[in-house]
Amino acid sequence: MIETKHLTKKFGDFVAVEDVNLSIAQGELFSLLGLNGAGKTTTIKMLSCLIRPTSGDAFILRKNIITDSQYIKPKLNVSPQETAVAPNLNVQENLEMIAGIYGMSKNDIHRKVEEMVTVFNLTDVRKKKAKLLSGGMQRRLSIAMALITEPEILFLDEPTLGLDVIARRELWVIIRKLKEKTTIILTTHYLEEAEALSDRVAIIQNGVIKATGTVDELLNQTGSKTLEDAFILLNQKEIIE
Amino acid sequence: MRSLYFAKRNLKEILRDPLSLLLGIILPVLIIFLFSALSKNAPIEIFKPVNIVPGITIFGFTFTTMFLGLLIAKDKSTSFLTRLFISPLKPKDFIVGYFIPLLPFSFIIGICCVAVGIIVGIPISFALLLTFISFIPFILFSAFTGVFLGTICNETQIMALGNIYIIAGSFLGGAWMDLNILGRNLKSITEILPFSHAIEASRNILAGRPDNIGIHLLIVSLYAIVFLFLSVYFFNRKMKSDNK
Repeated sequence: MIETKHLTKKFGDFVAVEDVNLSIAQGELFSLLGLNGAGKTTTIKMLSCLIRPTSGDAFILRKNIITDSQYIKPKLNVSPQETAVAPNLNVQENLEMIAGIYGMSKNDIHRKVEEMVTVFNLTDVRKKKAKLLSGGMQRRLSIAMALITEPEILFLDEPTLGLDVIARRELWVIIRKLKEKTTIILTTHYLEEAEALSDRVAIIQNGVIKATGTVDELLNQTGSKTLEDAFILLNQKEIIE
Repeated sequence: MRSLYFAKRNLKEILRDPLSLLLGIILPVLIIFLFSALSKNAPIEIFKPVNIVPGITIFGFTFTTMFLGLLIAKDKSTSFLTRLFISPLKPKDFIVGYFIPLLPFSFIIGICCVAVGIIVGIPISFALLLTFISFIPFILFSAFTGVFLGTICNETQIMALGNIYIIAGSFLGGAWMDLNILGRNLKSITEILPFSHAIEASRNILAGRPDNIGIHLLIVSLYAIVFLFLSVYFFNRKMKSDNK
């Protein structure tokens, strides 16, 4: 489904992502964990055809992210780190707009809007302008806008950032349900979130993948009891080295 | 079709901003009423409805440039445009999507100003329809300038540049004053810019004077074409620079 080969991104002399080799299977929920500036978002931006790699290659659905971006783009969607909604449009209009931009028919748009407002519990606020929603509601809308196009691949960049515990747990339930149909690449700062949701995890530091595997594999590899311990250990090793 | 969904969103964003209605429609309408009232007490040629209505309508269109520029600059500053850059929209879809909403919005401004013009004494005639049509090159110029400014500037810059643009448009266009009072040097600057040509063309049409209408409209049209190319070039460059 997703394969990267020596994927590298440099901004001038700064290496944001270096020699990343990943293989993510269909239907998998794969988490990218790392500190601020580790290269998570840059990796997502490359895989979503937003920025070009400096070197290396990546394939999504067996298509090249540089030469076949027009084939790939309709099949993926992203929920960016910041909430990305049209502020003066209401919930329903935001969803309709994105579905229309992705070329869905009017019937499909109507059907999917109904589904999204139900799944994301936005029915009561569907006529409310996005700018008047709470942070949690805006985040839910932002993710619903990514899902309404029925992407085969979904990138969730820090989806629960800034949400309270309840709102976060509600989103976890939704993300778990999505796993059944969609391949998800998740970036998060919350290790318990990655532990609860992920099939596999990659720990990235200074643009380099330090470890990849299931949570259990990472625990065994580092001799840690929790993912947080494993994460700290892998990051500290680098600092000491 | 994809770009129409985007255009629909942009039109709603502009129309739902109270400032758009206040500055784009209500302000020009009030100014027309004000100058019409003044013209009854002070018989100044430029204050007569046949002169003031075309001038103030063009003045109203200059606000659309700022509204569109602000919308694009705001989109750039949030993740919203990132989301759209990831979507299957192509550069031409963005240009069309940003440009199209200004047509109905400008149409509303034009209709309101002309309707008020009729109330204050302009007779309903074929010339009035032709005057309305003569606004089109300036409407296009305003829209492309908005895309251009929104692409190269941030919100703060747009606010500053937009104000300069609107003031320059009204003063150097002669929306409510005779340009001859500006002196020779300033007058020659007004002749380089499109504002006075747009106003002069529509005034001449409305008054039934055939003086240089074609040349005036040609100059405004050339400006519209230049800014079309500039907006396409800089928007493409923006997408490519984000793609590096």
